[in-house]
Amino acid sequence: MRTMRNRRKIETQMERQNRHKAMESVAVLDKLKNDFSKPLEAMNYFYDLFERVYCKRESLHDRSVKVGTLCIQVPYEIIYALDAVPVRLCNGFHTDDEIGSDFAPSKACPLVKATVGQFSSGNFVDRPDLVVSPTTCDQKSKAGAIIESMGYPIYDMEFPRTKESEESREYWRRSVRKFTKDLSKELGVKLTRSKLKKTIRRIGYAQYLYHRLNTLRKSDNPPILGVDMFLVTNAFFFDRLESWIEAVERLVEECAAKTEEESATYQNSPRIVYTGSPPIFPNLKIPLLIEQSDGLIVADETCSSNRMFNDMISVDEWFLYDMVDSISDKYLKGCTCPIFTKNSDRIRRIINLVKEYHAEGVVYQAFAGCQVYEMEQRSVLSAMEKEGIPILYLESDYSPSHLGQLTTRIEAFIESLKNRRRKKACAISQE
Amino acid sequence: MRYFAGIDIGSTAIKIAIVDENGDLVGHKISASGSMFYKYAKESLVDLLRSLDLKEEQVVYTVATGYGRKLFKEANEKISEITANAIGAKAAAKDECEIRTIINIGGQDSKAISIDNEGNVVNFAMNDRCAAGTGKFLDVVAMNLEIGVDELGKYHFMSQGTPLSINSTCAVFAESEIIGLLGNNHSIEDIVAGVHYSIAKRIIKLVKRVGIKDAIYFDGGPALNEGLVNAIENELSKEIYIPKHPQITTAFGAAILARESYGYLQNS
Repeated sequence: MRTMRNRRKIETQMERQNRHKAMESVAVLDKLKNDFSKPLEAMNYFYDLFERVYCKRESLHDRSVKVGTLCIQVPYEIIYALDAVPVRLCNGFHTDDEIGSDFAPSKACPLVKATVGQFSSGNFVDRPDLVVSPTTCDQKSKAGAIIESMGYPIYDMEFPRTKESEESREYWRRSVRKFTKDLSKELGVKLTRSKLKKTIRRIGYAQYLYHRLNTLRKSDNPPILGVDMFLVTNAFFFDRLESWIEAVERLVEECAAKTEEESATYQNSPRIVYTGSPPIFPNLKIPLLIEQSDGLIVADETCSSNRMFNDMISVDEWFLYDMVDSISDKYLKGCTCPIFTKNSDRIRRIINLVKEYHAEGVVYQAFAGCQVYEMEQRSVLSAMEKEGIPILYLESDYSPSHLGQLTTRIEAFIESLKNRRRKKACAISQE
Repeated sequence: MRYFAGIDIGSTAIKIAIVDENGDLVGHKISASGSMFYKYAKESLVDLLRSLDLKEEQVVYTVATGYGRKLFKEANEKISEITANAIGAKAAAKDECEIRTIINIGGQDSKAISIDNEGNVVNFAMNDRCAAGTGKFLDVVAMNLEIGVDELGKYHFMSQGTPLSINSTCAVFAESEIIGLLGNNHSIEDIVAGVHYSIAKRIIKLVKRVGIKDAIYFDGGPALNEGLVNAIENELSKEIYIPKHPQITTAFGAAILARESYGYLQNS
């Protein structure tokens, strides 16, 4: 009774996962490229990069030793100085989140589930040779153990939960020194003073470029969309350092010219500071919704973007041990992650960003299941209230559904910012 | 010779199947439901019997099923489409495999049914009251793309790029999403493939709720769409069984049940 239908090959599990990832990527890139007027020429490098890696599955570090990192707290400088390439594996794919749900409670953080999901499928464009898991938040610490049980070599890098005390500083310094020694041994590469100095300088230059780009966003005529900016900083997770630097150099040049233009592109859009759980490609859902609703993200406080570049390493003496300690200080003292017991630094930084970037409101996103961001919501909200800064708190995950409700909330928030602006203008003209 | 009829009155189409004393399918007819279910169902049955050269008296027992079953007064018995679908699927595939899971996509709903080795319904799941992922949705898509609904399969296999994601769970919003994609110069082929995958993913979620057991049977009008079949197979990583006449499985099941009920009543 069966029809003589044409039998077609059924996709393998891996082919299916790759198709899912390509579909998710295209959906976001498509919106970035088409939904906004006046695209930047230099952004094409980044659009292509993400398409090459996630749709065409092109390897970028074919011949290098790759050190996977599960958190922003792993010092890139040391990995580069040991002739290896760091690849940050914090994951934004919904399809991996679904795969990871088999290994973690359903209410766990989607980022952690997606990361675990990718390891369980073993489906990497650039497969890591070693994975470093800092013991920052609970879920990431436990994820490290789950990933290890899947047969990956995991290096637990101990991280303190307070940052004010001298003990925690010393504890973390020892942890970084140990990591440096162990990695050097593992890779069979000796760390030299000149190499470490060179990589500190090179990453410092990347940070400088980021700061130049960011500073341009303070202008009355901000040249770049927040979603584009997230794409640029997300690319730093895995791109070749030198290609990234070149592309951002071009971007800085174009943006600098654009701020000089007379007609401002985003003049009427309320300026927004974005904070909370990190948007990681392709989960740029909330930033996209903000900017599709005519808001403009002028600055952010997230570990997938600003926090990677914000603080520079300051070295007193260019001796090997001093450099390693300086690196460890930068990673601890500059960190504004909510895993710390107290986190007044983060609140201060958000307020500073609002002032420096002339922002009119803050959007705070917490991933459903990311307890620390959920818990810190109260203190940030009340601090903003004290300062008279409007803030919108959103909880979301990686699922593409329920966009309608989120859109309504975001649109209403942006409209309220527009109203404030109008009232302010009226008040000034009446004076 | 005595005959038995199964009439499945759905939201989009009326399906009638006639079986003989041996339970073999002797004829079937599919016609549009239109606005007057009862009238059209009656006319359709008369037409079918005429084309098979059968007299109305020869049909000794009739079972009605489907969303409009209560409107068909002449039926000797009425059963739910879930039961009829399970019986029909098991019988339709009996020579080739043992069906344990059924996927049914109808005009206004989609279902996943799990059956045991005797053909009893163990569990079933239905979509919420929404047209996304149903036959109606495919109609709307084809209309937006200005192609025939029967051409969707052909376009699916011509897709060269990445299938495009359709994220809206609502048919109305999905429509505007599709228009947006067309506006961004995406090919019809990639959009069609994307639509099929989005329906497939939704269906898989439903199937997972009842449990995926081999062999899997897919029926309802959309099962004629080879592109959709391909998308579901890829999402499941499994081959699925498509019957020769996917639209009439439920009517066929009702007809078989009519024969069994008649036999039971005669014997008791």
